[in-house]
Amino acid sequence: MDNSNGTAFLELKNVNKTFNLSYGEVTALEHVSLTINKRELVALVGPSGSGKTTLLNIIGSLDRPSKGEVILEGTRIDTLSEEELVHFRREKFSFIFQDAKPLRMLNVLENTLLPFNFFKPKNRNGNIRNEGIEIIKSLGLGHRLYHMPSQLSGGEIQRVAIARALITHPAMILADEPTANLDRDNRLFVIETFRKLSKEKDIAIVLSTHDLEIANRADRIVHLKDGVFLKDEAIACPPCKV
Amino acid sequence: MELIVLAIKDIFRRKGKSLYLLVAIVIPVAILSTILLTFDNADSSLSNLASKFGFTLIVQPKNVRVDRINQIGVNTEEYIPEGVVREIEKRVREIILNPKDRIITVVRFYKDEKVLAGKYEVSSVVAGVDFKSELEAKPSWTLTDGRWPTSDREAVLGGTYASSRKISLNDTVTINGSEFKVAGILQNYNSSEDYMVFAPFAEVQKLFDKTGFVSVINIQNVSLDKDKKLLQAAVEDINRNIPNITALSPQQFSTMKYTLLKKTLKFLLAIVVATVAVSIFSIFNIMTSVLYSRVKEIGLLKSVGASRSQLLTIFLSEYLTIGLIGGMIGYPLGLFMTYLLDSFLLKLGTGVRVNLLYVLVALLVGVFCSFAASSYPIYRLSRIKITESFRTQWEG
Repeated sequence: MDNSNGTAFLELKNVNKTFNLSYGEVTALEHVSLTINKRELVALVGPSGSGKTTLLNIIGSLDRPSKGEVILEGTRIDTLSEEELVHFRREKFSFIFQDAKPLRMLNVLENTLLPFNFFKPKNRNGNIRNEGIEIIKSLGLGHRLYHMPSQLSGGEIQRVAIARALITHPAMILADEPTANLDRDNRLFVIETFRKLSKEKDIAIVLSTHDLEIANRADRIVHLKDGVFLKDEAIACPPCKV
Repeated sequence: MELIVLAIKDIFRRKGKSLYLLVAIVIPVAILSTILLTFDNADSSLSNLASKFGFTLIVQPKNVRVDRINQIGVNTEEYIPEGVVREIEKRVREIILNPKDRIITVVRFYKDEKVLAGKYEVSSVVAGVDFKSELEAKPSWTLTDGRWPTSDREAVLGGTYASSRKISLNDTVTINGSEFKVAGILQNYNSSEDYMVFAPFAEVQKLFDKTGFVSVINIQNVSLDKDKKLLQAAVEDINRNIPNITALSPQQFSTMKYTLLKKTLKFLLAIVVATVAVSIFSIFNIMTSVLYSRVKEIGLLKSVGASRSQLLTIFLSEYLTIGLIGGMIGYPLGLFMTYLLDSFLLKLGTGVRVNLLYVLVALLVGVFCSFAASSYPIYRLSRIKITESFRTQWEG
């Protein structure tokens, strides 16, 4: 199924994913086709084991499909070498994982700037550190700049992950259950931040969630069940539906 | 922030686990340093010993095995009848051909005995010596304090013996129930003499009911000194014709002792190699468990753009730094252990010296242990996929 309302940023064509486990072959995704546009906030929903995380990993080139194609801005990325993918991911993607806590030995600002320990930002004017501070402040953590992760709440930790995702100016953010384990206020803060970022910074954001209240604030909801694409639902007025 | 800084910050963040690893590295490095330094000390002690003998020929009881003589050949268990002395002198005189060549014979009687020195009884080596012939053979033998004994109830103490027990001139030491006044304190020569009590020869024989017996006979002769072949001929002649004794040249004596020490230290070195191997194995286990508990961190680093080589740099820097610190701590600890070993057990008396080569060896061993133990788990984990790192329950 395809839903192309704007400029196609990423395209999945007939993607299948199977895992060879000790007890046999497991199909995680079956014939999934999907288009994601720039400035779009897409929510992947479905019960546990429906293939949300697998789909997210394939979109983000963290995993390769067993069959099918993944095309990003005209380039087929599922056939790139691991080395090429590292460079590709640095430029295009940022990831937010449910379990990926900030590094405990670095403070909030250092964690935000962590990606630049591994590569130099391209075509960036201005001071990266100052930009990091601005991003952290915009997420309401201005008073926590030099605090260590152990001094932060769950909601604040997730905001650090968002700040770290934003600092590289990615074309797409992939967030796996970013609101799990957060209270309602923090969940809403995260989804509203994503909405704002996708529109203001031209970022495509794909998140997986169980939470329909969160999913209903996205531009689109992609429903999955047992690895099969069920429905691609466009939300006309996302905040109105809540 | 550089990758190395990231690695070092992590060491300090994981203080407990870093310390645990550090201890696992410090132990083999310290043991290895101790063995190497002791080996080195034994080597210089024996070199000193050979040059300090001042004798041409040494005769000792045949039953004295290499493993029964202590650090510089003090045999306190087996004795030779005194009558043998004249027989040895006679044979030496026949071999050297020139009857005018002077032969100086120095006999000593040694006994391990509890000596009341100062407040406490301490296990000591009591040497019965004829001070006159000793001084004739070794004119360099000097006292730092006092004078040579002039009566049967006077003694001279080795420098270290006196200072360690805080004994001064005119104090008394009680040997086997008999009191001796301390007439002099001997200069330290970095030999076992520094730890001995010297008393008149005949008195010591009597005290231990061994009149007519000696522990060692030392012969000094210029002709034998000059001609090694002649010396060897004398050694062989004495060994062939006089029963129950062993004649040795000082060189042979040193070699004999050196061989023993070398064998012992080689054995210890083998133990160290085994210890290092066991340590590497245990460090490997610790590292594996530590690293597997960091799988999510590896996934995070990869997800923010770390390449495999960058991950290897971070983790190897972290563990090699711990290895280097282990070497830096292990070496001084080894020095201290060498000092203790020398002071309380071996008494080689050469002191503990810093050896730059061994510092380097210690650092390299520390780094090697760390590298050998960590490289495989680091290599394996650097290959893990980001998706696997978050999916799997790796917590160690």
